[in-house]
This record gives sequence, structure tokens and C-alpha cells, in this order.
Amino acid sequence: MDNFSESINYYGHKPEEQVEDREKKLRPTERANNARELYFSAKSSISMEFPYWYTRRWEELEGDVTIIRRAESLKAGFEHLTPVIYPGELLTMGKACYLRGSYPMPWLSEAFFMAAEDKLYKEALESGKLTADTFTTVGKGGGNVTKSVGNVISIAGKFGLRVEEMPVMLEVAKKWKDRSVDDIGHKYEQLVPGYKEKEAIMRSVICMFDSGYTLPQGREVINYYYPLQYGIDGIISICEEGMNEVAGYPEMDRLYFYKSVIIMLQGIRSWIRNYAAEARFMASIEQDEKQKSEYLEMGLRLDHISSNPPRDFHDALQLLWIFHVGVLNEDAISGLSPGRVGQVLYPFWKRDMDKGFMDREKTIELLECMRIKFTEIDCFASMGVVGGVLSGNTFNNLCIGGLKKDGTSAANELEMLILETGISCETPQPTLSVLYDEKSPEEFLLKGIECTKAGAGYPAWVNNQVAMEFLLNNYGHEGMQLEEARAWAIGGCLESSPGSWMPLNLDGEIHWIPGGSAPATSVGVHFLSLPKILETVIFDGMDMRSGERIFPSHGYKLETFEELWQGFQDYFSRAVHVLTLTNNIQHDAWRKISPSLVNSMLKPDCLEVGRDIGQQGSRFNTTFNVESCGNTTLVNSLASLKKNVYEEKNFSLEAYRKAILENFGYHTAQETGSYSLVDQKPAEHYSEYRKIHRMSLDAPKFGNDDPYVDSIFKLWEDWFCEMTHNYRSLYDQPMYACQISVSTHGPMGAVTLATPDGRLSGTTFSDGSVSAYPGTDKHGPYALFSSATCWNHSQSQNSQLNMKIHPSVVKGREGSRKFLELIRAYMRKGGFHVQFNIVDSRMLKQAQEDPDKFRSLLVRVAGFTQYWVELGKQIQDEVIARTEYEEL
Amino acid sequence: MDKPELTGGYIFDIQGFSVHDGPGCRTLIFLKGCPLRCLWCSNPEGIRPYPEPLYNESKCLFDLFCLDACQFNAITLEGENELRRLEFEREKCSKCSTYDCEKACLTRALAKGGSFITVGSLYSKIRHDRQYWGDKGGITLTGGEPFAQPEFTLALLKTCFEALIHTAVETCGDVPWISIERSLPWLEWIFFDLKHMDETAHKKLTASSNRLILENARRIADSFNGRLIFRLPLVPGLNDSEENIRSTADFILSTGRDELNILPVHHLGREKYLLSGFTYKLPGFEMTSRDKLLEARNRFSELGLRCYLGSETPF
Repeated sequence: MDNFSESINYYGHKPEEQVEDREKKLRPTERANNARELYFSAKSSISMEFPYWYTRRWEELEGDVTIIRRAESLKAGFEHLTPVIYPGELLTMGKACYLRGSYPMPWLSEAFFMAAEDKLYKEALESGKLTADTFTTVGKGGGNVTKSVGNVISIAGKFGLRVEEMPVMLEVAKKWKDRSVDDIGHKYEQLVPGYKEKEAIMRSVICMFDSGYTLPQGREVINYYYPLQYGIDGIISICEEGMNEVAGYPEMDRLYFYKSVIIMLQGIRSWIRNYAAEARFMASIEQDEKQKSEYLEMGLRLDHISSNPPRDFHDALQLLWIFHVGVLNEDAISGLSPGRVGQVLYPFWKRDMDKGFMDREKTIELLECMRIKFTEIDCFASMGVVGGVLSGNTFNNLCIGGLKKDGTSAANELEMLILETGISCETPQPTLSVLYDEKSPEEFLLKGIECTKAGAGYPAWVNNQVAMEFLLNNYGHEGMQLEEARAWAIGGCLESSPGSWMPLNLDGEIHWIPGGSAPATSVGVHFLSLPKILETVIFDGMDMRSGERIFPSHGYKLETFEELWQGFQDYFSRAVHVLTLTNNIQHDAWRKISPSLVNSMLKPDCLEVGRDIGQQGSRFNTTFNVESCGNTTLVNSLASLKKNVYEEKNFSLEAYRKAILENFGYHTAQETGSYSLVDQKPAEHYSEYRKIHRMSLDAPKFGNDDPYVDSIFKLWEDWFCEMTHNYRSLYDQPMYACQISVSTHGPMGAVTLATPDGRLSGTTFSDGSVSAYPGTDKHGPYALFSSATCWNHSQSQNSQLNMKIHPSVVKGREGSRKFLELIRAYMRKGGFHVQFNIVDSRMLKQAQEDPDKFRSLLVRVAGFTQYWVELGKQIQDEVIARTEYEEL
Repeated sequence: MDKPELTGGYIFDIQGFSVHDGPGCRTLIFLKGCPLRCLWCSNPEGIRPYPEPLYNESKCLFDLFCLDACQFNAITLEGENELRRLEFEREKCSKCSTYDCEKACLTRALAKGGSFITVGSLYSKIRHDRQYWGDKGGITLTGGEPFAQPEFTLALLKTCFEALIHTAVETCGDVPWISIERSLPWLEWIFFDLKHMDETAHKKLTASSNRLILENARRIADSFNGRLIFRLPLVPGLNDSEENIRSTADFILSTGRDELNILPVHHLGREKYLLSGFTYKLPGFEMTSRDKLLEARNRFSELGLRCYLGSETPF
């Protein structure tokens, strides 16, 4: 729509000429500030160390049991990571030898770096696998290596690779041709009847990507319990006992699993000890006495935890970080959430505080260092995934609040400090989520408000009770009870993930700590473009952008709204059906070729039962889902057709077909170079379409508490959430609905023609899942809340509401209290999630023009926080256009 | 007023999540029509008592579809080339109920400012917002001047008050006493504007005498049981003299009340003047500076008032 609301929808309250700054100002500690400056100057860099040694070992062990080969390969990778310690670090170690280091994992997919070789790239393109990449742009600034410079090659417009490592990369990649998860999965997914339809669906970008080989793990909550309780040697003992029990008996798979875990842990132990040695070396050449003693202390700490459980809070935090990176190094992973770290670490921290070993200042310094470490995480995946879905974000969601095992509030003092460091040390990771419960203490919630107001985009506000209800409904059949439902947390961006309570024994006292107990969620049907499916319904199965037939004719004349809705249901179901089957095959390839070991070892109850997560070793396994994109654009389009075609009969459906093909008489977004509706320009023949466009724009829009369109929204939700249960995952569990768009609404919008709601071709869809389309919610947040909660959110794994609020609205003490009232009201209505950008839109426009000046500006985009300059332009345009609720 | 729900009036907006005009989170209802013509008025589209077209020239494509669509021939094209713009005979528009011009406009350069609504249907909208206000919130009537539509305001306030909704009003006070008096039992909170204490100066600033205003202020202070907070929009050079500050303070104290909320004057409404066909007459576009505001607050405090700046009013 246009920016009509900006000119008359507020009253005497245009924003001030001067850009309003955020209210709360806190500085990070000097140590954290130095580390952050170092981070700002670092570039995303690829190191081939790990994949080289991994692949080399894999080749050597040809013919051995796969899981043992995998363990040995991981071990070789870990052992050969060059240790690099930065001055001033309190927490050390990372994915690779570079500060923002990462590496490709050719065992998952080698097609991506083979792209350098023209022929292979074309092959891949033809098979439809890389289409999403062509329509995705990654932000120009920041730490992204967007262009090849000197002897550094730009890969995927994001990562830098040293020229001399290029041949290594290609050589390693070639070893995996026809053997990677991608290739094997692709080979067998073709056996699914209707596979051709799947290829057409991918080419038309009705579906964004396959998860099996791109991001097989993630969108889950890690579990740090075993290392914290037993230490590495302790876990090895557990495995040895397990081996003794099963060696030679039936169910021999358990034997290999235990053996593999031991091998893998030996690799991790060497990796830690290499760092310990490096710390001692650094100490030996350090002149500064203070730094020297810090290195020595670090060496001792690493040596200790390379075998033993942590002695104190600092040990625990370091060990937790090591295993976090350990998991990230076994697979391409986005959204490995640390979960409720403040509650996991609380027993250690409290003991140190009581003994006087730890104080507030020291805690803040450590927590800030933790923020920097999590921010350094990079994920190497294909361009379509990195830019189009993740916007460069790795989604390490840290949850605070919620309830304890006994049902009382879980919020604690350490979490207050986590919020505090979220303000003082603004970084995109870990992003924070408040698990809002009516039992949460007021001062805790107000601290959350203070942090939200600081404007870094976190914390998001998430409804504890709604999530528990969802989990009980969907995991009850696996034995989840109320008590265990309380252990949940957000995995990844916004996926409600099951957790369990683990008995941490400290000095003979048992502390029940929460942690994840299920494998990756969001590994089902990854992002279905609802508006694009509606487009194929209107054109009887054709993708009119490419002229290709996607679905067979639906056979409806589309003479009633019910027929239209039926047509949509038919095509949507077809897509879910075939994608579920092909996706199951890909994940089967993943678990067979590249079974998870680090993550499996951590997840209860893999160690107890001796099976990895691919063999359902974890306690809960109903994690596959169907993800939607463009909910509101779909619903607004249905409402427009219902009104203009079927009820008032202002236009025929044929007239709409013509208008859609002619983009309502406008130039396309590709021509204008902006993906925001605000910037679209009419072409010469607009007058032919002005009436139909205007009446489409005027049709009821979601977000205004208008029952006409809200009832269609509910119709969609009730049907969608229910129908997903009819499909079975690889683990033979029913699937469920997941409704977060992440960043897919940009690239998916780019390949979708104009929609009947008046949205123009190529422009971005609505974001989130219950957000209004930018500029169409004209009655303020209350009306938006009422629309958003017209259905029961606990039917779905999540819902997502993004709002932009001008700093002046929530200024001062009164502002804080009223802001909490607003959030509380939404939670009480049963809203699952709401998050805010507290930012002046003109500041964003300035940042677009002058990215260097705004290097540290953080914004909230569709479920996560990211540096503004690292966002793609489509998403930047969209954030600016989002409705801003402002007044002076 | 047998059936308050059928009583109707003209409003030009409803705004949820307002945080500066009364306790808690509130829903603001903007009523059309105002007896004053303040130079700095920030809601010029609220001045006329009837609905009117709002015309955003910068979005106009001059395709003139609206001219053809208008049944009253109320729209004409004036000027040529760069200077051309549409003119509206707004008296005619006040009789129009269809607003075909708005529907004909492709770019939304035209919009209908204001609409008729009954208390019944307005209340059903307000009711939806209740769950969002929290403990202290409610509604605030503003505008325009709410008491310029006394029957409508009375019926609305009574309906809400009886439904246990917290009620507040923002008034300029330039209306017959009876219009205010009848509503007082259904009101819990009043913001009352004092633009200038000197009658001549007041006329210059608002095109109206302040005699009735001051008289109404005294009467409210005497008979109103709720919270009464006076408001002074501080316009540099026009009403911030020592003399006016002193006489404002004297006046407030003489009514037996002591609360004053100073609002900084901004010029952000000036773009809306063009929309409603007015000319912005205030010279200079300077906002009241923070220093001036603090200075005025200190002065008022010295004179014995409880004085709050901008949104700092303790609710």
C-alpha cells in the first residue's frame, strides 16, 4: 500500500526533525568493548582445516562402520583446528581459526562450492536446487565479504576464502560428489511418486529449500547437562559401561554408538588441550603481567575441564561454550539455542557468589564476553539459506523467565544480569526471549522492558502458557506431562521446543536444570509460499511468471468463494504431501551418512538408550513441521476476492487474472529496484487498472479488528494447524504447523506476481505470521492485537507479531509501565509472541544511505536481531515501511 | 436523551495505545469541530464541525477522475502547470455521504476527514479496547473540542462511565457552561487549556476571547470532583512572558487547584494545514526548547504550582 497513514493518521505528531535516540545508554566493560571492536573489524572467513582433515580421515576408513567413520572424521577435524586466543578473552575457542570463522561441510552438500565450476553449477540450477539463490541479496556492509579483494575470494557474497585454499576446497568437494547427503538424498527422493511436481514446486519457489542437507540440525535447544555434571571423562566412563553391557549382544548398534561418542570426545578433549597449550605459549611470550596471568589461568582452566566437571561458574560457562561450538562443528546448523542458560548456570553462580568467589562486576564481564562469543558464530550454508532465510543470523536464542519444575517462577538474579548485559553490550547474539508467565515477578518483567526499550530488538516476549499447551498437545503421546512441559524453551528463531529437567548434583544437593530433549525442529516442509500457491489456484496450476505448469488442473470453475478455498486446500495439500515424502528421504540420507554425535551425546536420553538422535535416541521426537510464509498476504487476497468477485461482483475473476498479469498497471519491483510497495511506480497503462487496484487496496485488511477478514484468517489457521497432523515424519510422528517467515517473505515475494489484495509483483509479503501488511493496520496496536488473536495460538508451534514503536511512545518511567501493560494485554489475550523495533524510521533511512556510520545499529527483523548493515535491501525496505506507532 | 446509544456525532479518529493523555493506556477519540483558531493548532482537520475532504497535493496525479466522480461539483482545478491544485467547496462536501471522489482517487491523495457515528457503534469499538488498557486506563475525548458536540459527548461519557470505564476529556473551555456542566457527573478527569490570560492577546492567538473560558475554568474547579489539570501550550514569544506566567499561576491558584501541565508547541501539524485547505500562520518553525520549558516550569513551581512538562504528568 502507500504511506497514506503517514500523512494523516496521527494527530499533530509527526516525528521531530531531529532523530530521536534510544533512551537507555549503558557502556560495555572495557574488555567486552575491545572484543566487540575486534569483532567489527573481522570478516566472515572460511578455513578449510576442519573439512580437509575430516574428509581425509573419512577416505582412510573406507569400509568401516559409518558411525565410527563419522566419529573418527570429527575427531580428526577437532584435533587439527589451529588454536587462536585473543588478548583479553575470558572465554576462548571458536568454530575455526578465524574470529568469524566457519567452513563448508561438503559431506552435507558439495554442490555449493562446486558452483565455481560452471558446468556443475548449471546442472544444479537445472535440477531446481539453487533457484532461491538467484533471488536473494545479502546486505552489502559489515563483516560480509561481498567482493573478491586481493588474495581473498568472495564466496556466496558473504564469506572470504584465501586464494591458496581454493584448490583444497575444490579437491575436498570432489571427494564428496555423489556421496554427500545432498546427492544421496537427491538420488533417492526421485523415487517418490510425483517427484517431478516437487521439482516444479522448488523451481517456482513455492517452497524455499530442502532442510535435509542445508541445515539438518538446529531450531532446537541444546542440553549442557552431561558435561556440566560428569565432565568429559565421566561421559566416557558412561559410554564404556554401556559398551560392556551390549558388546556381543543383539541390538549391536548401541555398541557402535557408544564407541563413536568416545572417539568423538577424545577429539574434543585434544582440541581443548591444544588450546590449553596455546594459552601457556601465549603466557610465555607475554610481557604484560596481568595478561600473562590470565593466559596461565586460562591454560589451567582448559586443562581441568578437558577431563573433569567444572569447579566454578567460569569453568561451567567455558565448558558450555565448548560444547556449543562442538555441536555447531558437526553439521551446518542455524538456531542452536542455548536455552535457559541463566537457570542452568544459576547453581554454579550462586555457589560462587555465596562463597565470595564471584561478584556482580565480574559476572557482567563474563556475560558480556559470552555475548561476543555467540555473536562470532557464523554459519556456512548456501546463499539462499544464508541471505534469504537467515539474513546472516544464527539464532542462538537465550530464554529467561518461565517456570521451574515445581511450577513456581523460574526468573532469577543471574537472568537480571543477562538482561543488564543485553543492554550494556548490544550484540545480535544471543538474542533474548522472555518466557512471560503471569507468575513472573514484576521487577523481572520491568527489567525486560528496560532492555526492550534499549532498542537492540530483544528481548522478544513469548507466552509461556500458550507454548506449554502446544507442547502438551503435541508431545503428550510421547509421554510429556505438565511438569516436563515447563522445561521448554525457544529453539532457534521462534520454535517452541520440548525440554526436560535434569538433576544437577552440586555438593550433594540436587538442582533441577532445564535443557532441550528433542532433535531439530523446522526440519519438515521448509517455508511454503501461500500467496504463490493462491496464484497457481487462480491460474489453474500454472506458474505464470515462468509459464511452467506446477500442479495438474484443479478442475474447479472457481465460481464461488468456497470453490476457490477448496482449490487452495487441494494445491496446498499436494505440496505438503510430496515435500513431506522427499524431505523424509533427505533426512534419512542425513541420519545414515552423517549421524549426529556431539548433539546426540548431549540430548537426553541418547546416552541411556545408546542411540543417536537419528535413531530416536532423544526423549521426544515429534519435531517435524510445516512452515508457512505470507499468511497475511494470502488472507488479504482471499478477502479481496471474496468481496470484489464473489459478493459484490465488482469484477470478474478474469479481470483479476488480467490485472495480476499486468501488475495492476505498475512497473515491476525489479524495474524500480526497491522491494517496498511505497516505492512502486505506475506505468502508462495504469488507468485501465486503477479501479480494480484501488478496490483491491480498499478491501478489508487483516490487523484492523475487522471480522470480515479476521474470519478468513481463522478459517486458514484452523484448517492449516489441523491438516498438518495428517502427515507423518521420518520418525513416524504427526507433523504440526510452524508460522514464522524469518526472512523468506522477501525472496518469495520477489518471484510472486501481484496479489488480489493490491500488493504489486515482486514486492515483499507480509512478515511474521500475524503481523499486518505494512501500512494497512490503520487502527493502532489494539486493533492489531484483536485481529492477531482471532484464533487459538496454541494450535501452532508459534505465531509471530512484529511491531515498530517510536522511542517517544515509551519514554520515561510512565512509558515503561505502560509498555508492560501493552505486552501483558497481548499475552492475556493468548498472543504467543510479540517483538518490537524501538527505532525511528528516519534513522533507518540514514543508515541505508550511510551504512558505515551505523555499523552497530541493531534492528529486529522477523524473529531475530541483526546489524542493520548486514541485512539484504529487501528486508531493509520492508522494516522502514512497517507501521510505526508514534506520538510525542 | 432517551436512547443515548442512538445519539450521534462527528469524529475524525480513534487511537488506541495512547500513553500521554490520562492515567494508564488509553483510547483517544477525536471529535470534530472547534470554536478556537489557535495559530499553532496541530489538528487542523478537527476544526470544522463536519466531514471534509483532505487533499494531499503531493500525491495528486491530476488525472481529474475525482472531478467526474463528484456529484455536487464541489471540486475545481485551479492554477496551471506547477501551481495547479484542486480546490474544494467544503460546504458542499459537508452534505455528501458517498465520497465518490475518494473512491475514484488512485493514489489516495484524497481522503475523507471525519465521519458520523452513533454512541452505540462507537461504544462497541471502545469495548474491544478495554482488555488492553490495564488497571488504570480508559478513554479520553479530544479533538477538536469535545464539548462543541455536547449531546454526543454527554451520551458517550455517560455510557462509558456506567460501564466502569475511566473517562477523561481534553477541552479548550470555550463553550456554553451548560454544555460542560451536564457532562461533569460522568467525568473523572479533565485537561483544561489556558492559552493566554490577557484577553486581547488571547484573541490574537486564538481568534476568540478568553472570558468564557476563564469563567468555565472557575466553575469546573468549584463543582468538579475529579482531577483537573490545566494545560499551557507554551509558544515562545507569544505566551511565555513573565507577566503571563505570573497571571496564569495566580489564576490557577485562585480557583483552588494547583496542577499545570506545560506542553511544548511543535509545528508538526503544519503539513496537515494544506490537507484541510488552511494556511499555517505561525511564523518560524521552532519547537519550544527544553531550556525554555524548564525555565517556565521552575517559575511556576516558585509560584506554588505543581507543574509537569510534556508527558511527565504523574497519573
